[in-house]
Amino acid sequence: MISNIHLIGAGQTRFGELWDKSIRDLMEEATDAAIANSPCTALDIDLIVVSNMLAEVTNGQAHLSAIASSLLPHHPPAIRVESACGSGAFALHTAMAMLESGRARNVLVIGVEKMTDVSMETVASALMGAADSEQERPAGLTFPGIFGLIAQRYMHDFGLSREDLSLVSAVHHRNACANPFAQFRSEITPDAVSSSAAVADPLRLLDCSPISDGAAACILSTEHVNGVRVAASQIASDSLSIIHRPVITSFSATKDAAERALTEAGIKLKEIDVLETHDCFSIAALINLEDLGFCDPGQGINIYKDIFARRGDSGIALGVNLSGGLKGCGHPVAATGIKQVIDVAKQLQKTGRRYGLAHNFGGAAATCGVHILENVS
Amino acid sequence: MSTPPILHRAQAGNRRKLQDGVVLSWTTMSHPLAGFGNRPRTVGLIALDDGSRALGQLLGTPTIGQRVRPRMVLSSVNENGLRAYDIAYEVVIPVPVNVGALHATPFPGYILALTGPSGVGKTTVSRMLISMFSANVESVPILTTRERKIGDDGEYRYVSKEKFNEYVKNGDMVSFVHLPSSTEERWYGYKQSDLEKIWKKGKLPVVITEMHLLRGLVEHYGRRSLLSFGLLPPGKSKRAMLSALLHRLRERGRDAEEHLKDRLKNATDDLAFFRERADLFDRILVNDDLQAVVEVVRETIPSLREAKN
Repeated sequence: MISNIHLIGAGQTRFGELWDKSIRDLMEEATDAAIANSPCTALDIDLIVVSNMLAEVTNGQAHLSAIASSLLPHHPPAIRVESACGSGAFALHTAMAMLESGRARNVLVIGVEKMTDVSMETVASALMGAADSEQERPAGLTFPGIFGLIAQRYMHDFGLSREDLSLVSAVHHRNACANPFAQFRSEITPDAVSSSAAVADPLRLLDCSPISDGAAACILSTEHVNGVRVAASQIASDSLSIIHRPVITSFSATKDAAERALTEAGIKLKEIDVLETHDCFSIAALINLEDLGFCDPGQGINIYKDIFARRGDSGIALGVNLSGGLKGCGHPVAATGIKQVIDVAKQLQKTGRRYGLAHNFGGAAATCGVHILENVS
Repeated sequence: MSTPPILHRAQAGNRRKLQDGVVLSWTTMSHPLAGFGNRPRTVGLIALDDGSRALGQLLGTPTIGQRVRPRMVLSSVNENGLRAYDIAYEVVIPVPVNVGALHATPFPGYILALTGPSGVGKTTVSRMLISMFSANVESVPILTTRERKIGDDGEYRYVSKEKFNEYVKNGDMVSFVHLPSSTEERWYGYKQSDLEKIWKKGKLPVVITEMHLLRGLVEHYGRRSLLSFGLLPPGKSKRAMLSALLHRLRERGRDAEEHLKDRLKNATDDLAFFRERADLFDRILVNDDLQAVVEVVRETIPSLREAKN
């Protein structure tokens, strides 16, 4: 990988239930913001990578690359990338490859999802496209159900209590209060999480990231410099169905991608000061910390206990998911991976810290992308 | 999406899934996928005995590490009405007898089972059959730890909780259940020796049962031993059925008003059980005409069809 790929511009819409905006409106708003925040002009963009998972089902709209291209006056070439909830990280990785190959010098990466145009039933079914249609679906499982299985086993193996698990969403909501783009800018108590409606035992409603609309866009460049360098971009995969995995309380794709990313960046894990992880469900947030290497298996909750108590000895300088994570910000599926990278860059620039890591996965971590950003300003 | 080709391929894997296993994890979803009904659905990740794994609906209350057995059930109905059958896994009722020996039990004979919510008329149908065909059928007493009540019709044999536990520990009970009650500790069950005595007389044992006890009997003797009839109260809707039951229970006068709440709660579960476990019934009858119900039972059972009353 070449070392001079920079994140030179970023923008996003607010995440939430945005009924008055079309999928095109969302892409346009995020794109305009990214270009406005960058040192380049629209005409400098020579390739667009669009990240999207569900538009055919939720919006009756395929061919998003053509829409993306039409957003810019010179209609640059555009391609679409899909890897379920990990689409954003995979789009970034694709953009990196295009830059590394020299096919492009300034790539606009847009992640977009518009999920509230259809019923919850339709969205739940569409999201199950990220699981194995001939294993998980015939059992009637939904994604909360899959993570319910994971959470049940995790609690059994590690003795995690329901009360402790509730700290995770409480932390993410608290963090989201300071994020103007977040879907839920309100604090919730751990008790509120524990007593919210049952969704997939042992998971409750407030353990689950919401259905959201939103778009995020960033510009990666080998031509311009704007303070944040992409130090690593790695992707990894695991079996699609959980029945083919030896354990379900740890995700090997996360481990693989993180290990390779740290090697690529040439740094140690302890140098990571800013962290955004894929907390689609609260249990995933704990597993992510363990798989990324911040703690031993079963110990992820201790980090959240420290953060919740504001003790500041979590081992991660600025904490986890300062943006609010998927739970607090919302989770417009394919926009999330782009939004995470944007948030890591913002935190690095705001605090002057050097390294940050964005972790984004698809399905039950059947695919995973890890990006490490370096503050070079 | 559950198109016929997808369902066909999924069902091709059912042979592999048709084996015993152990629950690795489970979850109960409040809202399963479209097509899988509107009721909470429990799904388990199962470690099958051949070392492979499977996902399937779990029947019963699971815990991690519990053994399960496969059972073919109606799993889903797609948007075009295509009914998909799949392997579900039934939690093995922990009958404290040698499980290995159970597989080797030869066909013991038939049992006529009458299942339905309290007040539906099981005892009345049973009494009528016995009075009509006393040479052919005989009632199996239900052992219970609950208190004797005015209005009990002689179908119960009352034992202390200690005695009941002793029977269970000795493996004397072929099926037993603890039914939750807000007012008392209630265990019910059938003793193996009671059934065997009736078979030895060359008669058909009649059990008045409910969903847990019926499952226990199937577990113990196998489905083919059961001539199984479900009895529903009259009524076009669930509410109408429950209303009819409440009316009958009050008319019977056996239960105090606080017990009626428990009865109705259990009845709601019973009605759902008929739909979910249709495989456990040979016939489901609406008991709005006692004579007609008895006639259907008689016509269905060869030994009674030919018997003189």
